[in-house]
Amino acid sequence: MAFASKSPWVIHYDASSCNGCDIEVLAALCPGFDAERFGVINTGNPKHADIFLVTGSVNERNISVIKEIYDQMVEPKVVVACGICACTGGIFHDCYNVIGGVDKAIPVDVYAPGCAVRPEAIIDAVVQAVGILDEKSKALAAARKGA
Amino acid sequence: MGKATVIPFGPQHPVLPEPLHLDLVVEDEKVLEAIPQIGFVHRGLEKLVETRDYNQFIYVAERICGICAFGHSMGYAETVERLMGVQIPPRAEVLRAIWHELSRIHSHVLWMGLAADAFGFESLFMHCWRLRERVLDVFEKTTGGRVIFSVVKVGGVVRDIDEGQFAEMKRVLEGIKSDYRQICNAFLKDASVKNRTVGVGYLSREDALELSMVGPFARASNVNNDARMLRNGGYAYLEGFEPILDDQGDCYARVKVRALEVLQSIDIIEELISKVPQGEIAVPVKGSPADGAESSNVVEQPRGECYYYARGNGTKFLDRMRMRTPTSQNLAGMVKALEGCDLADVNMIVLTIDPCISCTER
Amino acid sequence: MALQTEYLVTALENIEPMARERKADGWRFVQMMAVNTEDGIDLIYSFMKDGVLQNNKIEHVRKDDAVPSISGEFLEAFVFENEVHDLFGVDIRDIAIDFGGNFYALAQPEPMTVISPAQKAAREKARAAAIAKAERAQKAAAANAAYVADHPGAKAKRAGGVIVPSDDGVEEKLKGMDPEKVARVRAAMAAKAKRAAAEQEARKQAELEEKLAGMDPEKAAKVRAAMEAKKARAGADAKEGE
Repeated sequence: MAFASKSPWVIHYDASSCNGCDIEVLAALCPGFDAERFGVINTGNPKHADIFLVTGSVNERNISVIKEIYDQMVEPKVVVACGICACTGGIFHDCYNVIGGVDKAIPVDVYAPGCAVRPEAIIDAVVQAVGILDEKSKALAAARKGA
Repeated sequence: MGKATVIPFGPQHPVLPEPLHLDLVVEDEKVLEAIPQIGFVHRGLEKLVETRDYNQFIYVAERICGICAFGHSMGYAETVERLMGVQIPPRAEVLRAIWHELSRIHSHVLWMGLAADAFGFESLFMHCWRLRERVLDVFEKTTGGRVIFSVVKVGGVVRDIDEGQFAEMKRVLEGIKSDYRQICNAFLKDASVKNRTVGVGYLSREDALELSMVGPFARASNVNNDARMLRNGGYAYLEGFEPILDDQGDCYARVKVRALEVLQSIDIIEELISKVPQGEIAVPVKGSPADGAESSNVVEQPRGECYYYARGNGTKFLDRMRMRTPTSQNLAGMVKALEGCDLADVNMIVLTIDPCISCTER
Repeated sequence: MALQTEYLVTALENIEPMARERKADGWRFVQMMAVNTEDGIDLIYSFMKDGVLQNNKIEHVRKDDAVPSISGEFLEAFVFENEVHDLFGVDIRDIAIDFGGNFYALAQPEPMTVISPAQKAAREKARAAAIAKAERAQKAAAANAAYVADHPGAKAKRAGGVIVPSDDGVEEKLKGMDPEKVARVRAAMAAKAKRAAAEQEARKQAELEEKLAGMDPEKAAKVRAAMEAKKARAGADAKEGE
């Protein structure tokens, strides 16, 4: 049953980002773009969240942190990489401390490029993520029935 | 008699959009001391001067921080112009100052929204950010970007603002003023806000001087080191400039200083719009910085004074570019302000220094 | 009062007395940084008072030099000293809050001291080009002096002047030639004259660079700006003339 897709809760973490994408993520939740009318709430607790919005090209110290948050989230879960730094490392891809994108640390489902990523693109990405969440939810239920 | 426990705070925390780790040594709900641990945003971009030449590096300088993006691009451009002895046209100076003051408005209103969220007043957070969208619309109309503008280059600015856009800007700012006054009332006169902020995180004037604090964090403790007093660039066209000071030194004072600075910035922009000189907006810059030439510069960003240093080595790549941001200067002040506070107030105090960790660590 | 910047050079032993003096005189600590140079690491301490930004430079600090910390006088310096230790490998003693190398968790140790081979090559190339320019300028000056010595009646051209070979015989030859060939020869002559003019310009530029290198950096920058403005004006005039 896809309860989550009617009201997906997001958790947001800044993994070595310049904050541009983070304030656009928050702007997507505020009046003006208002993702909250789709039932999206920004929670701080990984165990309550369905969608993990990550921004920033990941640096050495952050690899363990995002792995930890990802592991604490409960299945089914979806990861959205917001901003070009999270997708491929962006303008910092050749810096010495940057590993070059979130998908080098955890598996990513949706990529939303941009510098800074526009709130419209974030809402688009969250809608796609909700679709993927639905599929994962169905697959999980089927696996449970089959087991 | 309690035992001291260590509570880790961050790096993933709902109140801060940025990763900052604090080890709070707590005894019975009172924080004895706080040990900060940063390093989650260090990308090492000062080394990129070796692979991007001085014109391309401005795009990297902007992306040090998305909130103070314009301040960094302006500061970098000014420093390299000093290094190469380039004098930019007066219209470019005033345009840069106008965009910088708009940036200050957007940054302070953003901060006020986060501060409201920190003590649980979520609807005020939504109102502040709704107001901020109007400023971002102005940015989008004049520069094309909401957060990162890329409108400054070494030698001037890239785009011009015409008369129609100036009129639109004035209209939007007048519209913001009345709504903003209501938000200020909620911040400064509401009893529940006062309960959470008055007397919290007190730093005296002596402490502020001792720890060389900068920005509104210091101005709330009556220490004036506003770099706009130096009247560089477009600020030289202002009639007079007095920074806003407050002597209470607690969180309430810091909220008040930032709230009043927004109104002051609106006045500054209106004054600059009336005085903007005609002329070209950029001069061509050729050649490279001389070998061994150095220059340094300070800019008053929304969070405080930011120091820039540049050294050339004869090629089109700079030898060294250094940006010292206000939050790294204020970290010692934050550690001092956290001593002896309640555990529930840690959120508020950390937020009132207006931390921009990505600026600190670059 | 606009910003005034000062650059002073001081010694490693002078760091602690300097910090004490600045604290006593009421200077505000601005920042501390390091620059990686070929001869070691330069440390720069900045202080500010009354609109004057003073940068104190300590040059050529080596890996094993022990640098005293100033966080005893200025506590807020601990942030910068930890950073300089982590990124440049400078050994700073007695920092008030010492993270012991763990301030930033770095993928490479002491990354700011690593210069990539591509960068080294670019810098070598620039240095070689500058030396070559200077040599050419000297040669031209010597050649001019020799010419003047040989032809005592001739007025000495300004230093670096190019001696253009005379073309009296060429016109005669051209009259008897095929028109296409004439056009080609004229084009070649024009190109040669252009190259000669460009070389003269380059020589003048090289001399000026040498002079500027010897001058005060601020004055040099002003001269350069004036030259740029002159060039821009000349360019604009030429365009109008067309």
